[in-house]
Amino acid sequence: MITDEIKKRLRDIVGPENILDSDLDRFGYSYDSSFVPLLPPNKPDIIVRPLTTEEVSKTMAVAFEYAIPVTPRGAASGRTGGSIPLKGGISLCLDRMTRIIELDERNMMVTAEAGVRTIDLYNRCAAQGLFYPPDPASWKFSTIGGNVAENAGGMRAVKYGVTSDYVMGLEVVLADGTILNTGGKAIKNVTGYDLKSLFTGSEGTLGIVTQATFRLISMPKRRGTLQVMFPSLDDGCATVHMMLQAGIVPAAAEIMDRVCLETVARHRKTELQPGVQACLVIEIDGETDAAIATQAERIEAVANTCSAIGFRVAQSQQESDELWAIRRGISSAVAATAPNRLGEDISVPRDAFPEVVRRIRAISEKYRIPIAVYGHAGDGNLHPSVLCDLSNPDEAERVHRAIDEIFAATLAVGGTLSGEHGIGITKRPYITQALGEAGVRTMKAIKQALDPKGIMNPGKIW
Amino acid sequence: MHKTADAALLQNAKKIVSQCDRCGACLTVCPLFGARDIEASSARGKNVIARALAEGGLDPGPDVAKAVDFCLLCRACVENCPSKVKTDEAMVDVRQYLADRKGGTAVKYKTVGAFLKNRGLVKLASGALSVLRRLGLNKVFPHGMVPDEYTKAHFLATFSGPAALGQRAPLSDVAVTKATKVAYFHGCGMRMMFPAAVVETLEILRTTTRIILKDNVCCGLPHLAHGLRGDFLTLAKKNIRTYEDADLIVSDCASCGGTLKHIASFFADDPEWKDQAAAFSGKAMDLSEYLAKAGYTPRHKLDAVLTYHDPCHLVRGQGITRQPRDLLRATGQFVEMEGADVCCGGAGSFHMDYPAIGAKILAQKQANIEKTGAAVVVTGCPGCLIQLTKAAEASGKFKAMHISQVL
Repeated sequence: MITDEIKKRLRDIVGPENILDSDLDRFGYSYDSSFVPLLPPNKPDIIVRPLTTEEVSKTMAVAFEYAIPVTPRGAASGRTGGSIPLKGGISLCLDRMTRIIELDERNMMVTAEAGVRTIDLYNRCAAQGLFYPPDPASWKFSTIGGNVAENAGGMRAVKYGVTSDYVMGLEVVLADGTILNTGGKAIKNVTGYDLKSLFTGSEGTLGIVTQATFRLISMPKRRGTLQVMFPSLDDGCATVHMMLQAGIVPAAAEIMDRVCLETVARHRKTELQPGVQACLVIEIDGETDAAIATQAERIEAVANTCSAIGFRVAQSQQESDELWAIRRGISSAVAATAPNRLGEDISVPRDAFPEVVRRIRAISEKYRIPIAVYGHAGDGNLHPSVLCDLSNPDEAERVHRAIDEIFAATLAVGGTLSGEHGIGITKRPYITQALGEAGVRTMKAIKQALDPKGIMNPGKIW
Repeated sequence: MHKTADAALLQNAKKIVSQCDRCGACLTVCPLFGARDIEASSARGKNVIARALAEGGLDPGPDVAKAVDFCLLCRACVENCPSKVKTDEAMVDVRQYLADRKGGTAVKYKTVGAFLKNRGLVKLASGALSVLRRLGLNKVFPHGMVPDEYTKAHFLATFSGPAALGQRAPLSDVAVTKATKVAYFHGCGMRMMFPAAVVETLEILRTTTRIILKDNVCCGLPHLAHGLRGDFLTLAKKNIRTYEDADLIVSDCASCGGTLKHIASFFADDPEWKDQAAAFSGKAMDLSEYLAKAGYTPRHKLDAVLTYHDPCHLVRGQGITRQPRDLLRATGQFVEMEGADVCCGGAGSFHMDYPAIGAKILAQKQANIEKTGAAVVVTGCPGCLIQLTKAAEASGKFKAMHISQVL
């Protein structure tokens, strides 16, 4: 319960226009892009929209004093419920903190506030020939604070890694309002615990990331996009493996199965080539056009040994943009084909990719539930999308058993629950199975030390 | 209104918005979220509100009504959405549902709706705007929104010198065949606010064909947008009858043209009207679309630097972008502006309901126009032209004109 007196204190901190507490506004901040049901809504009691780290700190001090739950939020584009205020309290909305504080070209590093959109950070760096590689599918609207808190991945992870591979330093506001600065621009740094890595991917349960410093690399001068069609998903996966083993590292290698391709074809009102069961979209980059051409030829040769039935090199930037737009939109497009879509984010050792897909296919048949599969074939992270209607109780039961089996299959091949979306609310029930008792106990000990009152994004991860 | 109709509207809206998986792609393109960045302003926010309303999670109170009214219906979100969720259609359905439920839409819209339904009144108004004030409608159509007269004559005088005045290109020899019966659709906005542009439209059309003039009624868009669907359907039927004998219906208003083209979809389940409505919608054409087809050559080529604003109802409503630009290239020095297809904030009566937000969106448009250095911003919709005229007055660096006034 947030009293009028507390509300007044919060208003004084951020200004009355940056507090929302009408019923409809509270509803507006009750959801994210996950499949956590909309109703009954998980409404916050109040939405607080700070502009500065100092305001965040003061807000946390008030929350700490009265033990009010706080759930940080950026663009609410997360897929696992991370920004849903499960226990009410404060929705701490960081989308007004949009300053890119410094682009340090000499050290090749950039420092930005939590509310900066990923694509804006990318573009600002790109204008100086610098490259911020992490590119979650939502990069046009997701914010960088959320990317750090969820340790977002993306298409380019196969060659360039994920968000945590670029985090050099963080400014974090702790549960009691303390402002912590950890890490920095020194490339080698073993002074004490690696706290920046602890907070990266902590899903807002340990502190509020208000500012981050990222290392950058130089921007590849040329890029190319390839589209390869296969008669089976296995052939597509095999192509990626053979490429990597032959030393051809694509910037991205995305695979889509027949269900996804049919969705795309329906959207674009085109016919799918008969016999196509899978499609790979590959990005290659390099210094010269010749380097791109050589890579494309080598990939074509590899694909041909894996029975490729269509090979296309994007001839223009527009064509390439279109191919990537299809891939980036696939999650939402697939979701729209059924009343409910339960999207998963499993990650397996790269060589287990075809095996886990085969097992998912078997599970889909066993429970008579369509499951679309797409994902990052290059790094073993895939997104099975269970397409269903949960209003049918019998179907709902089959869906839940199917999902249990997908996770079991993932763990059996040496994989893990989440590659890039986080655990949030949706994968909570499986956490002990994935981490083991000792793993969960250790994490809880850390949580207890940093958040003794349990106010930081309560109800998440476990 | 009976319960079943209500339920159908809400179910239809639900069918649309349940396709939204709340990803947030619309947040970056929604002009209203840009001007007022809280969730309920965004397309995602409104979709979720509509869904919760349909599923019983929200009560149909004044807050909800306000939220669904706060939409430009500009379709920028639809265009950018990975699942092409038609937020605009859902908002229209929910507005209608709320209007029916309350036993009527806001008095203001009812008055305007009745006013536009009455052809006689619109005609009077086009002669004397004082009628509006006499009817007490000056709050809805404030005098200030009627732009200064800026005509083709001024345009030529400014950009081509006196020698060009009165010059007319020869009749176009391109035949939309002689047998093609081309009729003009006289929209309310054009009639009331931009009669000088209507004169030019007709003059241009006469160079291509023997244009047929009809006594048409309002296209019905204002009614549809504000919960007067019954009136919309009545008007549509009248217009369908009126244009039975025409082969083509040309509109110089993006909103009317877009509405006429979409009328078929509202009668798809009506056995009596289905075929006629489909035939009618198939005949509708925007002026620029028609002129491109007819191979029209502008009556002059000037040095004037022109830029173009895409009306929502042309760019997203009808997919027309190339034709007006080609025509402008043929008549002057065309420069593309940044964000040409972003809504100007006019959106029918939105700019009057939310003047501050409308002004904020327009200020960005004005800055983009100024950046091109253009002397004239051209568009094809009276709603946009009202906004752009305000921007022109504020700026002083450019004029705003209807496309028929520069061709």
